[in-house]
Amino acid sequence: MKKLVFLCTVVALCLLALTAGAQEPATLTVLVEQGGLWLQEAAAKQFEEDTGHTVEFVNVPYGSVFDRLSAEMATGGAAFDVATIDVVWMSHFAPFAEPLDDLFTEEVIGDLFASLVADAQIDGTFIGMPTWANTEIIFYRKDLWEDPDEQAAFEAEYGYPLAPPATWQEFTDMAMYFTRDYDGDGEIDMYGTDVKGGVADFEWMIAVLQAGSPGVVLDADHNIIIDNEEHVAGLEYYISHHCDMDVAPPNVNEIDWGVAENLFYQSQTAMFRFWGHAYRLTRGDSPIADLVGAAPMIAGPGGVGAIPGPWFNIVPKTSANKELAIELVQYLYDNNAMGIEAPLGLAARKSAYASYADVEGYENLNPLLETLDSPQTIGRPAVADWQQIADEILGPIGSDALTCEQDPSELLAWGRTELEAMGYD
Amino acid sequence: MKLTERRFVLLLLLPATLFLAAFVAYPLFLLIRDSFYEVSIYASAERVFVGADNYVHALTSSRVRESAQRTLNYTMIALTAEFVLGFAAALLFNAMGRRSEILRTVFAFPLMIPPIVAGLLWRFMLIDNIGIVNHVLEHLGIIADSSDISWLGDRDLVLFSVALPNIWLTTSFVALVLYTGLQNIPSELIEAAKIDGAGALQVFRRVTVPLLRPVIAVVLILRGIDAARAFDMIWIQTEGGPRFASEILSIHIYRNMIRYGNVGEASAIATLFMLAMVVISSIAFFTIWGQGTSQS
Repeated sequence: MKKLVFLCTVVALCLLALTAGAQEPATLTVLVEQGGLWLQEAAAKQFEEDTGHTVEFVNVPYGSVFDRLSAEMATGGAAFDVATIDVVWMSHFAPFAEPLDDLFTEEVIGDLFASLVADAQIDGTFIGMPTWANTEIIFYRKDLWEDPDEQAAFEAEYGYPLAPPATWQEFTDMAMYFTRDYDGDGEIDMYGTDVKGGVADFEWMIAVLQAGSPGVVLDADHNIIIDNEEHVAGLEYYISHHCDMDVAPPNVNEIDWGVAENLFYQSQTAMFRFWGHAYRLTRGDSPIADLVGAAPMIAGPGGVGAIPGPWFNIVPKTSANKELAIELVQYLYDNNAMGIEAPLGLAARKSAYASYADVEGYENLNPLLETLDSPQTIGRPAVADWQQIADEILGPIGSDALTCEQDPSELLAWGRTELEAMGYD
Repeated sequence: MKLTERRFVLLLLLPATLFLAAFVAYPLFLLIRDSFYEVSIYASAERVFVGADNYVHALTSSRVRESAQRTLNYTMIALTAEFVLGFAAALLFNAMGRRSEILRTVFAFPLMIPPIVAGLLWRFMLIDNIGIVNHVLEHLGIIADSSDISWLGDRDLVLFSVALPNIWLTTSFVALVLYTGLQNIPSELIEAAKIDGAGALQVFRRVTVPLLRPVIAVVLILRGIDAARAFDMIWIQTEGGPRFASEILSIHIYRNMIRYGNVGEASAIATLFMLAMVVISSIAFFTIWGQGTSQS
């Protein structure tokens, strides 16, 4: 009898353990915009096959990611288990995000770009796992740069060989050289490059980093550095192609990223600075579809510098499946390279980029890797009111500077007073 | 309980009243309540009562003042163009009689286009260098180069440019409403005026316009309110730029509320905007309609 009782107890305990160990199939809801969907869809499908759980993507326009998540945050809703968010929103959503410190092992940190590791944490706590990193690199017309006649003529005029620009001076020289009036009617048919005044709250800060500034607007301790000499030099360089020389389309205020892309692919500009993903998205009907070359971002006195545009997976604290959601975030990181096959062709891990760098059709990855890995590629300050700073201070400074009537130093001094009014020192 | 006529009327009104209470009165109450607090969109539970501070800040802010002025200018531009063009079209349809049927149908097509699509469409048409408008003007010899007019980049021009899709979309609405009003003017009155020796201009001034006054009032108030609270068409074209030159109040409120998370201040500006709209609409209503009904 004792034996029977013992046997029954063992069987019951085994059954209990089995029941407890088996995880019910769950559905994880992931908030993304189109890029997040493209880059993570394949890995998520594999996650479903491996685990039996379901991953449902809620695909919304760019701005709606912020709006939907803000609404969740305000109401304490639990609609999303994971959200893929832009770096500029990280500090906003920090109080709402589950800490992910356990995922950031030494191995993980070593395989991520330094700027991404810095951006992934708010006040020393990792809250987001990078899912892809993008930044601006140089796009140029291979047919022009590789033309022997152009090469000879350029070298004769400037005294050094024609190659993709690597420095401020080379970029300016080549912008001047390729600004052309082909039919001699007095009107320019192709500009050397563009000046994107439509994104004046962002574009000129890249030159600030290239000038050698330790950060943009605020330093690592959030002290004001907007009026340091590197900011002045960067802003002066940014406007010089519009104000001092006729090498960019004059309607600068209308040129945002979309328009700049159109101008280049309609061969109205010879080269431009643009986000690296565009290389893989070159439209087949463009007259220069097979003629696009990619090079690392140019260097100023401070070296190659750019502002990274990474996206992060965060797990909202309100998620009903937090553990499983973190498991998915880890899985998406482990299979990060799968995103490179997607239309945008981007990833976050150095190893993921390196594994495709020599593959035909991915010639943009080495320039991306080099630019992202540069010490002067530094993220925007992680402050909650960054959007307000960008809209109310950086945009007006850029716009006013592009009128070519105001002194950059004075504009930046005005920026300091505005930042002080917002409570910064 | 006997269902009296009064009770029956109240019963019929009940669903609409409940709907309005839930979806208009309650959100309005929340808006006005938030305007007296400092509250972040990211932590709405942590609110601090600040009295009238948000209102004081809104009324003394140069950005709010400039946005209000731009709202007024934008409304005047859109309303004037829509009314003049719409009235001309309505008079044309009226003069053409039944022959205007096809024209009226074609004229109503833009009404079916979502505002955001219209904004996007016009944005790409107006961008110089690659926009079709400047290319057409260049081919016609009106401008020398396709980059001569910076429709959306020129701070002095942008408010007119962003009003174009609004005018394009809703002129047909103004025309069709005014046309309906013209159709209802008794022909005997016009004939009597003509017999009395009135010319076409006098008939228009002394008979048509006074009798059309209530319809004009409705059109102006409806379109005025609609133009003043425009948002999507402008946002998609310029996001209020360059350097806030096309930032009207609705965009300023959105920017404050959603992009900066300043719920309290944005609510105060929205409340003031709403009150101003009610006052202006009431004045317009009693001025235009009041005169018309007393004359008739």
